[in-house]
Amino acid sequence: MNVKAILHVIEYDFRNFFRYRWFIAGLIAMNLADLFISAIVFTQMTSIINYFEFFAPGLAVVGLFASAFMIGREINMEVRREIHHYMLSLPMTRTELAVGRVLAGGLRGMLYMSPLLITNFIVLRFPTLPQLLLILLTLLLLAIGISGVSITIAVSTTSFEKFVTARGVVYYMLFFCSSVFYPLSVIQVLAQKGLSPLVTFAQINPLTNGSDMIRSFLLDPAMGYVFSPLMLVNVAVFSVIFALVATFAYAKILQRH
Amino acid sequence: MGLRKLLLVVERDLRMFIQYKFMLVMRGIWFVAQVALFGLVVNKMVQSTTEALNISYFQYYVAGVTIITLYSTAMFIGYDIFEEAEHGVFEYLLTLPVSRRELVLGRSIGGGLRSFVYVGPLLVIVLLILGVSNPLYLLVALASLFLFAFGVAGMSITLAVAMKSGDKYDILVGVLDALIVRLSTTMYPIVYMQKAMPAYATLAGFNPLTYASDLFRWGTGVEGIIPINPLMGVLGLFVFFFAFTFVGVVFYERRLEGGSWQ
Repeated sequence: MNVKAILHVIEYDFRNFFRYRWFIAGLIAMNLADLFISAIVFTQMTSIINYFEFFAPGLAVVGLFASAFMIGREINMEVRREIHHYMLSLPMTRTELAVGRVLAGGLRGMLYMSPLLITNFIVLRFPTLPQLLLILLTLLLLAIGISGVSITIAVSTTSFEKFVTARGVVYYMLFFCSSVFYPLSVIQVLAQKGLSPLVTFAQINPLTNGSDMIRSFLLDPAMGYVFSPLMLVNVAVFSVIFALVATFAYAKILQRH
Repeated sequence: MGLRKLLLVVERDLRMFIQYKFMLVMRGIWFVAQVALFGLVVNKMVQSTTEALNISYFQYYVAGVTIITLYSTAMFIGYDIFEEAEHGVFEYLLTLPVSRRELVLGRSIGGGLRSFVYVGPLLVIVLLILGVSNPLYLLVALASLFLFAFGVAGMSITLAVAMKSGDKYDILVGVLDALIVRLSTTMYPIVYMQKAMPAYATLAGFNPLTYASDLFRWGTGVEGIIPINPLMGVLGLFVFFFAFTFVGVVFYERRLEGGSWQ
């Protein structure tokens, strides 16, 4: 596999990413409104946890998801406008092209998420160097997995409307059944309502593991968040599966178009 | 002004809305997820404080989500206007034997009405969950929601015709959505906003979403005593409706001439 070709694809996607700078600025504004308005008000409403501190790491994951998912929006647009013919004509293998795009989606997610992560460090605390590296590694794996999910959906849907619908369904499932917005202990209430599969899903959800891992390093240990290597393994498994599925789907389905 | 022609414009917008099947399904799923997952779980999280206020947060939130859905579907008319500009449908609309004013007013009414048609079935489910204590109050609340939906559609048209690019409109709507929803009482009572940051509560006091959600809760009886006077709430929504319908109509009418939307 030619690394230089993959780097060219990543560069292409990064250049595209910066064309959407107003879109990115809008997304950041929305994320910060979540933290500095909603989270602050909810902090007044709940006595279980300090919601502002709890939600801040979740917000980094929300931002990561939104930006890593943007690659799918672009690929779907390329398919609809038949730009993929040009992409397929480039002097590189299908696999290199697909790997480049999956990685680019993940790296773009990391870039977008970094101001939100820095906000976390400022409002919570700065991690040690090993903790920082572990956080970055986990989030990178998560971003690659999300990019993979997004690309898989993008090449499997023929219209933008269908893509947006599928994105919405994935978003609601992954976010509402995770500990991004509320602690896992509170989600147990769903089991009492006969929704135990959703509780199990929340426990294995990579977004739960990603946000809880950041919490384990940045929150007061009294809040009960402890790092477990299983968190990293869970996110890594998700990432590998969806990176492979996306690579395969991108390379094969585009040829069929 | 011909009422029949006005109705034809309204009908066209309603028919167009039904074409967005996937979008409608997605919004439905979003509503169910918000109510059945987010509402239930957060209700557990904030139980201690809501018990103190004698309000179930789940009921409070369900009413708020209904207003958010009404708001977001009424805002959708702006995207239609951009689609039409991009695909040259504007020119076709201008050739129709309908005056500019009928066209613009019809679109504003159509934008509000279709959001109400969409929210209708959800509203029935919500009323089953919340119950109704006084039918007269409910009627007043529903009439206010009509004003609210038309006002939002007018606001959406005003923003859409004031912007040259669909992307910029998309971003502006996203940011506006983030601020207008969060700085309102759709998701949390004003007393907590006051505690968190008095400025938030002050801004929420001028927000049409606050009036709409408080009036809806008052209409269903979820909140017996609302922070605003119901009459002031209705008046606030009427001013919002009148201002944006009027501004939207004038703006849109002016932009239609001479191809200035291009």
